[in-house]
Order: sequence, then structure tokens, then C-alpha cells
Amino acid sequence: MDPLLKLEGLTVHFSGLKALTDVSFDTHAGEVRAVIGPNGAGKTTLFNAISGYVQPTAGAVHFKGDPIHGLSPHEISSKGVRRTFQNGGLFPELTALENILAGLHTQIDGSFLGIILGTRAAREAERAGVARARKLLDMMDLGFLADQHVKDLSGGQQRMVEIVRTLATEPPLLLLDEPFVGLSPPMRIRMMEIIRKLAGEEGIGILLIEHAIDLVMSSSDIIIVLSSGQKIAEGKPEEVRENHEVLEAYLGYA
Amino acid sequence: MNNTETPMPPKETSISRAHRLFYLIPVMALAIPFVANEYLQFMTNMILVYSVVTVGFNVIIGNLGQLAFANTAFFGIGAYTAAILMVYAGFPFVLAVVAAALIGGLGGFLASVTALRGIRLYYLAIITLAFGELMRWVYLHADGVTKGSDGLQMPKPDFFGISMNNETVKFYVFLLIAVLLIKATSNLMRSRIGRAFVAIRDNEAATASLGIHTARYIILAFVWSGAVVGVAGSMFAALTERVFPESFSLTEVIVHFAMVLVGGTGSIIGSVIGAITLTALPEYFRQFPGMEELFFGIIIVCVLLFLPKGLVSLLQRVSPIFIERFYRD
Repeated sequence: MDPLLKLEGLTVHFSGLKALTDVSFDTHAGEVRAVIGPNGAGKTTLFNAISGYVQPTAGAVHFKGDPIHGLSPHEISSKGVRRTFQNGGLFPELTALENILAGLHTQIDGSFLGIILGTRAAREAERAGVARARKLLDMMDLGFLADQHVKDLSGGQQRMVEIVRTLATEPPLLLLDEPFVGLSPPMRIRMMEIIRKLAGEEGIGILLIEHAIDLVMSSSDIIIVLSSGQKIAEGKPEEVRENHEVLEAYLGYA
Repeated sequence: MNNTETPMPPKETSISRAHRLFYLIPVMALAIPFVANEYLQFMTNMILVYSVVTVGFNVIIGNLGQLAFANTAFFGIGAYTAAILMVYAGFPFVLAVVAAALIGGLGGFLASVTALRGIRLYYLAIITLAFGELMRWVYLHADGVTKGSDGLQMPKPDFFGISMNNETVKFYVFLLIAVLLIKATSNLMRSRIGRAFVAIRDNEAATASLGIHTARYIILAFVWSGAVVGVAGSMFAALTERVFPESFSLTEVIVHFAMVLVGGTGSIIGSVIGAITLTALPEYFRQFPGMEELFFGIIIVCVLLFLPKGLVSLLQRVSPIFIERFYRD
């Protein structure tokens, strides 16, 4: 099976700092792949390089066989690579419903003139979008939060709204930046279930970043270990756990 | 009002219906000329001009969340465009208004370039203020056309053959223009376009991650704002019938900004409230010498201290009908 996402020798250097050096791996549909590593290992730079927020110094990123490196974030997103943000990528002053609607932006029709004049077609396109956004919230049992400003929601609720927003356009590939951070233990379990379900039932390819190895042991198919911007290991969770180099470099003991 | 696919929760639908009550405001306003004297009518017309100014300015300040102060530039460009075309080219007022919208929109486009180049916050504020001052310099020094500081005297505007030779006729024309522009802006804000504006304000990087071409929407917000404020400029020209460079000074943009803040950022209802408050109250206090500026300052300080979301937030506490959402159902 052709990989969904293919990284070849991805390298990002910031004026002397080698944030990422020669990182290569594939991600497939229906697979949960976790990237772990200590602070400064280059995890977020990796996500930024894939999603267009940082231009790679060298190397290539292919999505469904097409090169996407060098494209801007909105272009990469439109191709079907969607991401979340570590520090919350929501719009705090907007309601949960409005956040989801923003996620549906590219799928809501209506020309500029139609919108300005309030034509029937534009209004109906907008209402169809609203109905879909409500349905998406209901599917995650978040319907009761629709009209709440997301800044007033709990951390866990915010994370769920962001996941719903990211999934709104049914992207084939999802990049989740530390999805477990700040979640209570039961919420973490729920998040793991959601991630497994998205990959297993919906066939979405998931690439996630995580700090702590124990959180990804049970939820990931493949774990990639980054250290100082380099890939030092890749394999099934149990393999990575036994990997001597990983223990030494990442966990700090041998 | 109901969507055919999914039944709407009754609460939202009733709010959408309740929003139609806002049409009663311009309908009731139709009666103002029957009770107002010439002076009050002039002030009411001024409020209409400033309502349009504030609704337009709020798109950039409140919705897009950019500290861009080129608003007097748009206002002045609109006023001079209308005046020049009416004086030298014999344009009817209606066409002058359309031209003011186009040239104001062009001014908005030029101002958006600064924001697109990643110039933000204080830097954007200073650059756009300079844009406004530059335009004032142009009005002063292009005196062959603008008559410089003497001001450009306009012919009496007319509206499809009806002479706008008194405040009452101006009022009805202005009311029509204001209602159309406010309705169009409201439509825009309750669409994916308006959502893109506020999304950029709240988190620009995340907005792009949703496939939204942020640069395009930054330009669009500036162009729309410039066009609306440009029209307000043409109304202002028709109201005062003589256009002076000094009307578009730094003080003027501070007044516009104060109207946005006092009414409520990102709120169309708030914009109108801000325009009414900061046009009417200082005017009222003019009868007490020196009090006008004092009360102008006191109003701003009090509102910002006690009602950071503007006067509209008082109304929002009374009824959810005054809460403006960025979608329609």
C-alpha cells in the first residue's frame, strides 16, 4: 500500500540550530504513529515542517504521492492534512459551534456577492453548514456546549472541540500535537479510544506527538523516537521499549 | 427559517426571528423629521454618518483585530472623491457614493498591504496613522483641485432628481444608505467570510490550518472597511457641503476609535450605539464651555474601566437578542 505521508530526508536548520536532520518515515492510512522525544527533540518542528508553518531546509514531504513541501499551511490543509496545536488552536472568543463552522469553511458555499446581498442560495449554504456543525458536535456529545465561548470550556472539552473541528472536513491525515497534555486520566483514556477509533473505523492516518512514552504504548501502532532532531528509533511499541539506544538517549539510563 | 435537513433547536430559531425586530429601528426612525427641528435633524444625520464610519472601522478593529488606524484616510478619500466628482465632473450624488466606495475600497486594499507584510500591533498603528496624515497632506497641497485649507465647496447633492437641499431629505437618503450598508455588513459577518475575520483575530496560525487563505481575508476585511467608511465620507461631504482637510486629522481617528471602543468592539449594534453616544453627548455638553472635551474623555474612561466590552454589553445582559453570532440559522 502506498504511504499516505512520505518524509524523505526532512531537514530544518534555523540559523545554525539543527532542529531536524535527515528525518525519513512513512505513515499509512488507518495507522496511529507516534513521535516521541524529550523537549527540544524537534517534534513540533517536524509538525510545522509537514504542515507548512516552517519551510524545510532540505528533504521532501509527499502526501498521497504529491509533493507538499514548500506549500503554505492553508494549501496543505486543503489537500487533507489537518493538524491540532499544542497550546490550543481554538478561537477563544468564538463559540464551540463557530469554531466547528470555521473548520468547515472550505466546504461552505456562497459567493461574496451572494453573502453580501443575503441571497437565498447563500443563506441555505450557511444553514446547511450550521446543521452539519451541530451534528458533528452532537456525535461527540458536545452539542450542549454549542453556544458556549470555548474560552469558558474545560481543558478537556476544548481539546475535544479542537478534534471535532480538525475532523470536520474528514481529512485523510491528522496530525495531533500532544493530544493528551492537560487531560485528566479518564479523559486521556477517552482520547486514546477516539484516536484508535478514528484510525481503525474511519481509516484515518494519525501522526501524533507525545512527550511521555507510556501514553503512546497502548494507543500507537508504530513509535518513532526523535532525539536532538534525529530519528534514533522506529518500531512497534514493545520493540522501541527494548531498544538500548532509546533507553540511553531518551530515557537517560542504560 | 428552518433548515430542511435537520430540525433547528427552537432557541436559536426564535433568536433569529427576534433579530427581525431590529428592522423596527429604521422604520421608527422614519418619524424623526416630524419631531426634530433643523438642528436636531442635522445632528441625527451626523449620527447616521458616524454609524456607518464606526460599523466600517469595527470590521478592522473589532473583527479582524488589527490596530490599523487608516480610517480617517478612508473617510477623507471618500469625502474628497465624492466632492471632486460632483464639483468637476458633475456626478450625481448616487454615482459619487459608488465612486467613494470603490476608491475607499482601494484605500483599504493599500492599507492591507502593511498588515500582510507581517507588520502588526504598534508598528501597524503608526504606519496606518501616517497613511491618514499623508492623505491630509495631499488634500492640503493638491489645492488646485481640493482648494486646500479653504475647503472644497460642493453643489447641492440630489438623489434621483430629488434635491437634497434640506436636512430632512438628506436624512432619508442617509438612512437608506446606512441601513443597506449595515445589513450588508451584518450578512458578511454572519457568513464564513465574517468567521474567517474573527478567526484570524483569535488565532491566525490556526485559521490557516483550516484551509483558510488568511491573506485573502485580511485584504477583504480592509477593502470592505475602506469601502464602507468611504461611503460614510461621501455622506459627510453631502452633509457639510464643504470638505476641509482638517476634518480628517489625527483627532478624528481618535474619535472613530473611541466610538468603536465605547460601543463595543466587534459588534454592529455596539458601533451604532458608540456613534450615537459620542456624537450626541459631547454635542449636548457643548453648551457648557470646556465641558465637551471633558465629558468625551470621561465617557471613554468610564466605559473602558467598567464596561470593557462596551455599552452593548449592558444590553446583552438584558437580552440575548443583542448578542451577535458569527453564523445564521
